[in-house]
Amino acid sequence: MSVDLATKSLLHDKLRFLITVSGVAFAVTLVFVQVGLFLGLMDNASLTIEHLDADLWVTSHNTANIDFSHTFSETYVKRVRSIPGVARADNLIVWFMNVSLPNGAVEGTEVYALEDFGRWNFPWNVIDGNITDLRRGNYIVVDDSAKKRWGPFSVGEYREVLGRRLKIIGRSIDALSFTTTPLTFMDYRLAQSLNPSDLRGNTTYILVKLAPGANIDAVRAELRHRLPYNDVFTRNEWARRSRTYWVDSTGLGLNMYLTVFLGCLVGIVVVAQTLYTSTMEHIKEFGTVKAIGGGNADIYSILAKQATIAAVAGFALGAVMSYALRPVIEKINLKLVIPTPLSIAVFIGSIVLCLAAAMISFRKVASIDPALVFRT
Amino acid sequence: MSILQAHNVEKHFTEGRETVAVLKGIDFAVERGEIVSLEGPSGSGKTTFLSILGCILTPTKGEVVIDGIAVNAKRLNDVRKRSLGFVFQQFNLFPSLTAIENVEYALNVKGVRGAAARTEAERVINAVDLAERQNFLPRDLSGGQKQRVAIARALAGTAPILLADEPTANLDSTVGTQVLEMFRTLAKKENRALVIVTHDPKVRTIADKVVKIHDGRLSQ
Repeated sequence: MSVDLATKSLLHDKLRFLITVSGVAFAVTLVFVQVGLFLGLMDNASLTIEHLDADLWVTSHNTANIDFSHTFSETYVKRVRSIPGVARADNLIVWFMNVSLPNGAVEGTEVYALEDFGRWNFPWNVIDGNITDLRRGNYIVVDDSAKKRWGPFSVGEYREVLGRRLKIIGRSIDALSFTTTPLTFMDYRLAQSLNPSDLRGNTTYILVKLAPGANIDAVRAELRHRLPYNDVFTRNEWARRSRTYWVDSTGLGLNMYLTVFLGCLVGIVVVAQTLYTSTMEHIKEFGTVKAIGGGNADIYSILAKQATIAAVAGFALGAVMSYALRPVIEKINLKLVIPTPLSIAVFIGSIVLCLAAAMISFRKVASIDPALVFRT
Repeated sequence: MSILQAHNVEKHFTEGRETVAVLKGIDFAVERGEIVSLEGPSGSGKTTFLSILGCILTPTKGEVVIDGIAVNAKRLNDVRKRSLGFVFQQFNLFPSLTAIENVEYALNVKGVRGAAARTEAERVINAVDLAERQNFLPRDLSGGQKQRVAIARALAGTAPILLADEPTANLDSTVGTQVLEMFRTLAKKENRALVIVTHDPKVRTIADKVVKIHDGRLSQ
């Protein structure tokens, strides 16, 4: 074993070490939170698409995303059902409606209406009540996230949707939309009756489930042939289209990339600055290393090890801070999604950036004149 | 054969448009076990000459021969590792390393590692009488103790040549004398050549040979 000059020297000045690690941790936290929030929002943008058990989606022409639906004739579903390879097809209405709250306020809700929710395994996480009961009358199931906007509610209470009193017969969790508007589930015919001017005889989507062994491309081609004024997407295409809309139209993607870039920049500047200052302060020590026979490689390895230690410690602190922020962020109905590949990428990125930051110091030590050890 | 020789060494520095000759054809030799005091006024070129002997600078003209081999400018690091030990006026200890770690690290740089490095470091720390303070950081050592650590670092390993730059300049008279005496004893005992650049007349008391440098030339 050798004397670990790099670590001992780094930890010798604890305040500087803390500043270096804080710089990395700040950058790591910024990247985790920004990317995590972005992924969380993107997750919400296509959450319902991914949980509905449909292989193909029929939408009106040029619909941008699941939330901004447009109507078309509900009779088209019959054409879809007649295509070979289609196991089942149902109309789905997604529509924004107003809800009058007991305190007199009016809030919005995004209604998902189907004839048979059970058949589509939707919503996927019902914690109270039975989703099949929706067919029996003026009933709704409301996602728990609505409590933030609607205030507390429980099963058995009533809420007035577009002027009609509807009984809450169940609650779901985890059903969120990109717009953060609370999701309400009701029977298809009930939704049409609430807004007849837009929805009578109309639907907004057709969900298509393929028969086992059916060729998805062939079915889609036939759908396009029979519904020339509609679009047909696979589940993945539709989910991606819904997510991409928000990224492109809101500048969300640009904002995320900019913040990630700035976070990395701040991190690299802090690390480079502290490492460089430290190098300058220890320049005579590095000169001594050279005078006693060490080469540039010995000094590079010291700096590289210090940069790596700062990166690992900063990553650990940043990751802990990011995970600690999760419950706080969830309280405001946002999700911080930190998948393992992101963690690995940020970890590797931290090390690469810290080593890049150390390059400035590398250049400095390469030019050290060992004769400086004789100067007073 | 002398362990360290300099033949007709010249060193020129360029300052602006002028070229200044700091060393003007120096011939010099030191035997194993010999102690040489290199004296001279400020600006006489003695530190430059020490830097050339220590393979830190290369001469503009002439050559340095160590242990019979002319120093190759491309392998200065290797020569420093293998053949030279340094003691500096400012001690130049690593502040984050303890006394024994300072010595052990120098051995690591020279390629000695693990238990062998620790054993050798303990040997030389004992030799400079610092066993009880071997785990102290430099900030907790007196000037004399720091210089003893620096001497131990120079002695660690098998380098046949020790070069010291004003080793007593930052020590009071009594401590300076003690350090010199210790240095002389250890250098003689281990048959190392010792070249001391100094202003301090006390160094003459331990030197076998006094060499004066003046205006870039030697006189004995």
